[in-house]
Amino acid sequence: MSSSGIYLSEAPVRRTGGSGNALLRKIQRACRLSLVEPDLSLNLDVADYINAKQGGAPRDAVLTIVKLINSRGIHTAVFALSLLDVLVKNCGYPIHLQISRKEFLNELVKRFPEKPPMRYTKVQRLILTAIEEWYQTICKNSSYKEDMKYIRDMHSLLKYKGYVFPKINQEDLAVLRPSDHLKTPSELQKEQEIAQAAKLEELIRRGKPEDLREANKLMKVMAGYKEDNIVNVTQTLTDELTKLKRKADLFNEMLSALDTAEVEDGAIVELYSSLKSSQPKFQKIIEEKQGDEEFVQDLLQFNVKVNQLIQKYQLLRTGHASDAHKLEIPVSTTSPAGSTTLANEINLIDFDDNDNDDIQGSGGGDGGLDDLLGDLLGMKVSPPSQGYGIGGSISLGSSQIAQPIETAKNHNSIDLLAELSSSHHPSPPTSESFTPSRDVDLLDGFKSSTSSSNGRLLVNSSSNLSLEFEVTRVNSSAIKMFSYFSSRSIFPIEDLTFLVAVPKTCNLKLLPQSGNTIASGSVDGVTQEGLIENAPVDASKPLKIKWKLTYTLDGKSIEESSVYTLPKV
Amino acid sequence: MGNSFSRVLSKLFGSREMKILMLGLDNAGKTTILYKLKLNKIKTSAPTVGFNVETVAFRNVKFNMWDVGGQERLRPLWRHYFPATTALIFVIDSHDRDRLNEAKEELYSIIGEKEMEDVVLLVLANKQDLRGALKPLEVSNYLQLGENLKNQLWCIVGSNALTGQGLVEGLSWIANNTKNR
Repeated sequence: MSSSGIYLSEAPVRRTGGSGNALLRKIQRACRLSLVEPDLSLNLDVADYINAKQGGAPRDAVLTIVKLINSRGIHTAVFALSLLDVLVKNCGYPIHLQISRKEFLNELVKRFPEKPPMRYTKVQRLILTAIEEWYQTICKNSSYKEDMKYIRDMHSLLKYKGYVFPKINQEDLAVLRPSDHLKTPSELQKEQEIAQAAKLEELIRRGKPEDLREANKLMKVMAGYKEDNIVNVTQTLTDELTKLKRKADLFNEMLSALDTAEVEDGAIVELYSSLKSSQPKFQKIIEEKQGDEEFVQDLLQFNVKVNQLIQKYQLLRTGHASDAHKLEIPVSTTSPAGSTTLANEINLIDFDDNDNDDIQGSGGGDGGLDDLLGDLLGMKVSPPSQGYGIGGSISLGSSQIAQPIETAKNHNSIDLLAELSSSHHPSPPTSESFTPSRDVDLLDGFKSSTSSSNGRLLVNSSSNLSLEFEVTRVNSSAIKMFSYFSSRSIFPIEDLTFLVAVPKTCNLKLLPQSGNTIASGSVDGVTQEGLIENAPVDASKPLKIKWKLTYTLDGKSIEESSVYTLPKV
Repeated sequence: MGNSFSRVLSKLFGSREMKILMLGLDNAGKTTILYKLKLNKIKTSAPTVGFNVETVAFRNVKFNMWDVGGQERLRPLWRHYFPATTALIFVIDSHDRDRLNEAKEELYSIIGEKEMEDVVLLVLANKQDLRGALKPLEVSNYLQLGENLKNQLWCIVGSNALTGQGLVEGLSWIANNTKNR
């Protein structure tokens, strides 16, 4: 390696790859000087070839491309980077694995001086863009993100050296987000096989003792000596379906809440198309899953529901609002208990994405809200400092607490509605059509408070219990918040745990709960005091908090959570 | 003695390094051969689930020997070991007449791969110590190597992994026939 300012330690692995001549020719064709601008069809031709060949092809391609990037001619380098971009977006994990290799990354920044130049060259700017894009996408949401470690390392190394990464166009990022498309078990399996084969070959190529150990393990998995693969496929499928069900519920709620004028709204259209496009897959999944009676039944039922939703949407769109609202579609009851598969629900709809589009669209008028949503998405639910039943530094079952935000769907609808109302639809939706148990949540999203008679704020009320806040200002920067829990159930509520999160700018101190059991019918059976610091009186945006409640009722564990906007105090 | 001698040679001629892939049906004796060469010991081994890798220095050549399990389920994974292979050692249980055809099919499916078209092929007709084992020539005839492999450098050697008979012979054939690679 020639001496250059920036590299991750350790020499690159020697060995020349088998020369795929056809591949080289295709790459050269896509980067040749006679082209005026990068030719997408030529680039895709390379991608198709790699997808068909696999084996050494991803590696050979990446090696060739990085050589071209470092070639003297700017033209060639720019074309090579554009080709690389197409490969990263179209060839999946096998290419991601190659660009996350230390040696590749070192080569990629070979022409970067130790100290950032006053002005970046075009090629440097494109390279920084590429790394930033990878950093924001595959490093975060690839199913194999632990393999992308060196991209993260290179990103922070460059940052440390003083390089500034360009802002990335949201649309460019969207391409690399995990696809929303439902896949059949066989498709999932195929995808997994390709990824594992790529990984195995890479490990064999590296050949360090730890790589070989991992390769041996992986081989056992691939050969089916371990159940992992089948289990993984089933798990992924279940997760995807659960997400889709949540989407259907959200879609259902939104359809009930909105009138015809709003059916063309982006979020709704997105939900609609994602449900509609996954429908043809149901048939295939059912065929492949023959024999799993329960699963098939469940999917068939869901299919009926999706049909109804689509019908309802189409009625709304064609202006038959009254007919549409006659269609009563039940909210599905995926077990409310702590189902961990929903942990990723926050990705259900990409709020960030919409946010930024909105900023551009409306001239930044909603900046405050966007920031806040960003904060909320990033914040962690913090347990009370010495919470009841949680114990001190030594405790059992702390995993429950340590889990990051597990949002229930309420949260999503609120964020979404809040955003809708602020950006396009200032009028609150008609509340008659809400399903009863949720109207409070939904309204809270944009009306800052619903006061009850005793000066308290009704935060949430389910069929089991109600939650009220009493918020008072202590001084110019701190707010005191009392929480009251009352039973509305004939069964006692046990193992009550209440978690609250505040935006990162604030600081929350929760005192222990007064207890963790509420007798049937008991009013204010449990109370809890908390202090929110660094919440100034004159804050520009309303203070939003996220809460989560878990408890056991009649032997079932139940979870409720949402976001609540505190009134100004 | 061999050791110091090989060191001198490697100083004179510069040492080479090559990847050798050892394949064959399960129970052909691949792992036994590997450890006989590496440790000069008979390591009784359970069927290999996965693979073993050892470096065997021989004359001025460093052989990186990959022994990949031969069970049916593992065979589809063999191809992941093809890249950068210089020589293929295909091990045959010369005593297992019933599975000779199966071995033949596997061998041709490996050799037919594009990545393997340039490798030199050493077939070890193993288990020569067993009574009733086919002789190397018989195995070679059965496999029809002469008729089918026109462009490939190949050789068949009878071997006995327990005594080491044939193994060094085989390796030196590989070393002699890969000089220009």
